[in-house]
Amino acid sequence: MDKVDAEARKRAAAILREKLIPLIKDLKAGEPLKLVIPKRTLSNTMLDPEKGILILKDEKLERHLLDAGEARRFMQTILMASIIYQALVENEYPTIRDLYYRGKHTLQYRDLEGKVREENTWDEQQESDAVLRDIEVMTNLLREEMLILSKEKGKMVGDMRIRSGPDVIDLSKLGHGAYAIESTPDFIEFLDYNAEFVLVVEKDAVFQQLHRIGFWRQYKCLLITGAGQPDRATRRLVRRLNEELGLPVYVLTDSDPYGWNIYSVFKVGSITLSYESERLATPKARFLGVSMTDIFGDKKKKPYLTEEERKNFIIKAKDEDIKRAQDLQKYSWFQTPKWKKEIDLFLEKRAKLEIEALVGKGLKFLAYKYLPEKIQTGDWIE
Amino acid sequence: MSEEKKYKEMGIARFFARYPELTGYSSPQKALYQTIRELVENSLDAIDGHEEGRQVALPLIKVVIEEVAIVHDEEGKKVMCRVTAEDNGVGVPPTVIANAFAKVLYSSKYVTKQTRGMYGIGVKAAVMYSQATGGSGVDVISTTSSLEDVYWRRLKIDLEKNEPIVLGTGSWRKQGSWRGTRVSMTMECDWPRARQKIIEYFQKTSIIAPYVQMLFLTPEKELYVFPKRAEKIPDPPREAKPHPHGVDVETFKLMLRETKARTFKQFLMKEFQSVGEKSARAIIREAKKRIKDKDISGDISPADLLQASDGSLAAIVDIMKTLRFQPPKSKYLSPLGEDLVKASLISTFNPEWADAIRRSPRSYQGHPFIVELGMAYGGHIEPMNEPLLLRYANKVPLLSAEKEDVSYKVMMGVDWKQYKVTFPAPLVILVHVVSTKIPYKSMGKESISEVPEIEQEIRYGLLELGRRLREYLSEKERREEAMNRALAISKYLPEIARGLKILEKEPRSWTPLEPGEERDLLEDLIKLVSRHVHLRDQQGEEVVRKILRVK
Ligand SMILES: Nc1ncnc2c1ncn2[C@@H]1O[C@H](COP(=O)(O)OP(=O)(O)OP(=O)(O)O)[C@@H](O)[C@H]1O
Ligand SMILES: [Mg+2]
Repeated sequence: MDKVDAEARKRAAAILREKLIPLIKDLKAGEPLKLVIPKRTLSNTMLDPEKGILILKDEKLERHLLDAGEARRFMQTILMASIIYQALVENEYPTIRDLYYRGKHTLQYRDLEGKVREENTWDEQQESDAVLRDIEVMTNLLREEMLILSKEKGKMVGDMRIRSGPDVIDLSKLGHGAYAIESTPDFIEFLDYNAEFVLVVEKDAVFQQLHRIGFWRQYKCLLITGAGQPDRATRRLVRRLNEELGLPVYVLTDSDPYGWNIYSVFKVGSITLSYESERLATPKARFLGVSMTDIFGDKKKKPYLTEEERKNFIIKAKDEDIKRAQDLQKYSWFQTPKWKKEIDLFLEKRAKLEIEALVGKGLKFLAYKYLPEKIQTGDWIE
Repeated sequence: MSEEKKYKEMGIARFFARYPELTGYSSPQKALYQTIRELVENSLDAIDGHEEGRQVALPLIKVVIEEVAIVHDEEGKKVMCRVTAEDNGVGVPPTVIANAFAKVLYSSKYVTKQTRGMYGIGVKAAVMYSQATGGSGVDVISTTSSLEDVYWRRLKIDLEKNEPIVLGTGSWRKQGSWRGTRVSMTMECDWPRARQKIIEYFQKTSIIAPYVQMLFLTPEKELYVFPKRAEKIPDPPREAKPHPHGVDVETFKLMLRETKARTFKQFLMKEFQSVGEKSARAIIREAKKRIKDKDISGDISPADLLQASDGSLAAIVDIMKTLRFQPPKSKYLSPLGEDLVKASLISTFNPEWADAIRRSPRSYQGHPFIVELGMAYGGHIEPMNEPLLLRYANKVPLLSAEKEDVSYKVMMGVDWKQYKVTFPAPLVILVHVVSTKIPYKSMGKESISEVPEIEQEIRYGLLELGRRLREYLSEKERREEAMNRALAISKYLPEIARGLKILEKEPRSWTPLEPGEERDLLEDLIKLVSRHVHLRDQQGEEVVRKILRVK
């Protein structure tokens, strides 16, 4: 077993114990037991102006064993903590699904009439996932740091060598395939690379096309996709590339509120999981496109699409798109002049566009004209 | 026919025989019920009338109804029943058996005393009905504690003379220690229709006489047992002298006639309660002023005073009613007692809660009375749209005319929601009024009038019991809440103990958790939770452990 891994285990186990052992002391002293957990609510979330990411404010909630309404969640929290702890000391790599199954069993008790009743520790994985999030905020440890694996979704290629576990992987020698970003990107060691920026594309198909056409080799970039909503590992890796290697990060998504939201998740973090932003968000990530002005142009800029192409490629926005856009307008990081213009234009035209439309215009157009030009002219939104 | 011929005096016995509905004998159905009632009530009086220290261990009343014959006559089919009631009460001396059972208005209860009987008609009305419907006379067998023989009489009533006709006599040596009375007669009856009311009568009577065992054998040979459910027999009611506020002119005259006192003043002091030297003089002083047709002084003889006009005597009675005296003494009353009322409700209804209360004695119009009340809630009681009201007067159940009764009126005036009771609710209320004179609404003795003093006592009693019930229900609610809380928390304790135990083990010396290894933490958790579940009776730990006892 490699050393990085072993160290991480030790640290996580120690923190878990440190957080929960005081309960045993309280118990021995006959004190009522409570868990103190930072609140994961929107009202307890704010944008850190310096770091540019979403963070939790310091509102805490207390979960009391002796409160009948909280006892179940209290039990679940202790249960989850003990399963994670046991997996750590027994050198296992549970997935969140494993945690769900390990913790799920039936409790028996007698009701007040003396009848034997049964209840599950938890029923749905949603429940155990929520408890896991509690433990993350309570211990300030991300699941990756507790060696909990999730499904690998993100991919990366580029001229770069990394060490993952005991192996060295050359990310430029993977043929038509790509490196699947591992669940614990913190244990990746960057060895050497020849790249000037990172391009994150929303869509897996577009990633594959750019990979095959040799985009990353020609323009010296690391090409990454989160395949839709990015998972934590992808976000963490992007963050490390930006922070540790100083590579600028460009994000390419559809031209619609859903795409903007994906960009927002890379940049500031997600609201429901803001406690992880500290380590997952890349505040300096840039929104490369496709932007509304790319489609419609403005005073200073010629649109990338002809009148004819616009007619063919544009999709009418649905009500839910409009609503989503209006929601995004409320967040402070979408209130910069450029974003305001972008969103207003969307609301005015009620039109959206998929990246594939640009590919429809020709993959070469996307790879050799659109992307390089935008990067070179600094035509992005921050 | 001359005018005078139309006028005729009617004997009292003939009168009652002529108008059986006055005494409740208007049909074979009603007659059967009424007969049972009169016999049982006489027996209960005989049991209650025990001399000090002479009560029997198991007061017992046995009643048997047999259908003995079916007679066909001009009027159609008649069913004849033989009704027999036996008790082990005080018995009747042989010299008075004939009059007691066959002379209307002959009674041992014409005294100011709390008994069920009061008119001296009861059993005779049954005998007359028996006589009228083809019975062959009433058989009475009786003996008392002090007699050595048991006596038998077969009697009929001479309706013209209102005198007993003795059809047979006999006596024999007592065998064993039985004393008491056995009365038996045959009459036309309608058992199927009377059945329900008779059974209800026994049930309700048993509630108010829990110290008596009653056995009832129906014509179908079905035996109903109403067991004795309380040890204590209430003290026998004692005879009281009348209170000056409670006499009428007739009684006053009767008392003057029968007194052994030699002067008016002595008469007042001897024959009335609450009249001493001072109040006697006050009465005499007032009488002197008001009465013109006679020279009144404390020294005139009662016989002399009787010569005064009715108006003058009425004036004296009036004076006595208006002067102030010590209130009538309640020590002559014999309520059942809180303990017995409560015990009786519990053993009859099997409720989850019951309580009883006895209000302090009071008086109305010179008659002392006591109201005692019982209340039972939940358990085996069926929820009903209004409380089940059990009404009693001098230990006799009142079965009909409920809605006219003062108790019903008071009960319906209570805002039960205030006492945490919402209907339909399993609530039983018992109201028992004892008095030397019960203010019945009618001759039928079925409901009590709304005498303000009585009404007030019933209300206060009900409200007090209501408060106690509310207290019980709130406590129960609190308890249930605490229990639910204990449940909601306790079921998770084993899981929490295991989790904490795993976390307690250090990584260096890690071994998987052994079954039972977390016992110490579980014990601490049980203690912690029990201490914080607020149960008044310190059963917290027991409750928690019970919840966790699944194997
Ligand atoms: N079972 C009995 N045991 C002892 N004495 C009895 C019994 N039955 C009747 N008596 C006597 O006979 C008397 C007459 O009874 P009866 O029922 O006719 O009148 P009462 O009970 O005095 O008044 P009421 O008319 O109200 O019933 C009673 O007063 C009582 O002395
Ligand atoms: Mg009688």
